[in-house]
Amino acid sequence: MKDIEHIEELLNSYLDGELDERKSNEVKRLLDHDRQVQDLYDSIKRHKELINSVSFTPVPQGLYENITSRLERETLLANTEVYSHKAGRRHLMVRRIMTAAAVIALASVLSVVIFDIFVPKSSRDKLITNALRKEIDKKVIYEQPFTEAMPVEDKKIVPQMPYDVSLVAILTLKTNNPIEVDWFVAKALTTTNLFGQTSAVDRQPGSVRYVINCDNESVANLIQELSFIWPQCTDTKMDIGTEQTGKYITVNNINADQVIEICKAENLGQRLRMAHDLAIINKITTPSAIDRVYANADIDYDFLTDQKPALAATEKTDTISQPLEPLDSATVTIIVISN
Amino acid sequence: MVKSIQEQLKNTDANISIDEAALVAQAKAGNMDSAQRLILKYQQRVYNTVLKMCGNADDAAELTQDAFVKVIQNINNFKEQSSFYTWLFRIAVNLTLNFCKKNAAVRFQSLQNETDNELKRQLKDYLIDKTSPLPQQVAATKEMHSLVLKALEKLEPGQRAAVVLRDIEQMNYNQIAEALDTEVGTVKSRIARGRKNLREILEAAIQ
Repeated sequence: MKDIEHIEELLNSYLDGELDERKSNEVKRLLDHDRQVQDLYDSIKRHKELINSVSFTPVPQGLYENITSRLERETLLANTEVYSHKAGRRHLMVRRIMTAAAVIALASVLSVVIFDIFVPKSSRDKLITNALRKEIDKKVIYEQPFTEAMPVEDKKIVPQMPYDVSLVAILTLKTNNPIEVDWFVAKALTTTNLFGQTSAVDRQPGSVRYVINCDNESVANLIQELSFIWPQCTDTKMDIGTEQTGKYITVNNINADQVIEICKAENLGQRLRMAHDLAIINKITTPSAIDRVYANADIDYDFLTDQKPALAATEKTDTISQPLEPLDSATVTIIVISN
Repeated sequence: MVKSIQEQLKNTDANISIDEAALVAQAKAGNMDSAQRLILKYQQRVYNTVLKMCGNADDAAELTQDAFVKVIQNINNFKEQSSFYTWLFRIAVNLTLNFCKKNAAVRFQSLQNETDNELKRQLKDYLIDKTSPLPQQVAATKEMHSLVLKALEKLEPGQRAAVVLRDIEQMNYNQIAEALDTEVGTVKSRIARGRKNLREILEAAIQ
């Protein structure tokens, strides 16, 4: 079978003139000596000639024109496609970027709104502070613990008050000679022309109360006049009013000079600072002489801790920008108590 | 302009005189006149080869157009390792073979019933009795032409392509191997088997 296929291949190649000279000679010899091979060769040849003789079909009319017009059309389309493709891709990219930017902006706005609605303001501030890594300086009023009784620098405890208040003070004098002391007080008021400014004189059994409304200087003069009665007193104390109504700093065992110094203080802050210092000093020097009722433990240090807000929301800023004007008015109460 | 080129080709036997390499070089440079000359030079041969392979005139015209459009559009990719002629036929044959694979119709029906008696007698005289020595006389009739084409259609596409390129287009085995992108040995084998099968088909038709 293989031989027949091989012979057929040889015969076809011989017929087509594709064999070299040696193989052609072999095929010729085979054809001369083998009748069957000769018949096969003739058959192959006749079939080949039949196929070969099939006439050429003429080209359909307009084939050339169709080819050239298609070439022109496809060239134009190709150019258009390239242009459209590039332009479309650019357009698509721009649209994608714009969409992404819009989504990011929208998400940011929504986040801020949600954050503002649901997170409390304190937490928000804390978060923002932490985020910005800002450390808020703590306000140090006292560098040293107060109980160590160390002198404190004025700048650390003197509140920068945008306003001042009148001197409000209650001087209490305990004495074994109340009548004598009372007489000297009345005399001093007369001498310093403050009797007319004494708004009230309240005489109770065992005590007399004078309420004087005047300026600070007058109070200082009054105390100067009364200084010589201090030896007559077994105990003295002075309550210095703060800006909080009804609250006082108590200075026990106070002497006349200390009272005068307090009265001459330029403003409330300085006054309170002095009262505070004197309360400590007097406690150290003569602790046993102080009435336990008016012990330093009574001092309400809240008065010294912090200043009031400088500005309320509705206040005008020009009111605090004005220089601090000390108020030269005082309400002093002198109480003489019998032991 | 087309007519003038066609007349020029006819009058001067331009198939031989036009320098193909120069035309290809000019077409590569974008000269459409040269590309058109190449089309005019080969359109009939390409069309006839495709027609004998696919068996339908409309399909053959469409495939011929596709082949030339593809060739001209890709002419800059032509490396000139073979002749332009074999490159062109390679593209045309590949397009046709792909088309035939996609549109393969199952043809089990014998040609025996489609052949009238007179045609059978003529073919028998020629192939078996050998009383008619001239194949041109046998193949001259339209019916015989159609019968041969139908017999070719029944061949396996690879064999059909090899037989058509050899017996109709008159390519040698090396050119056929280049056009079909295969080995010369394979071409020999395909031609031998194709002719044998064709012989069997035609002999069966005249029984």
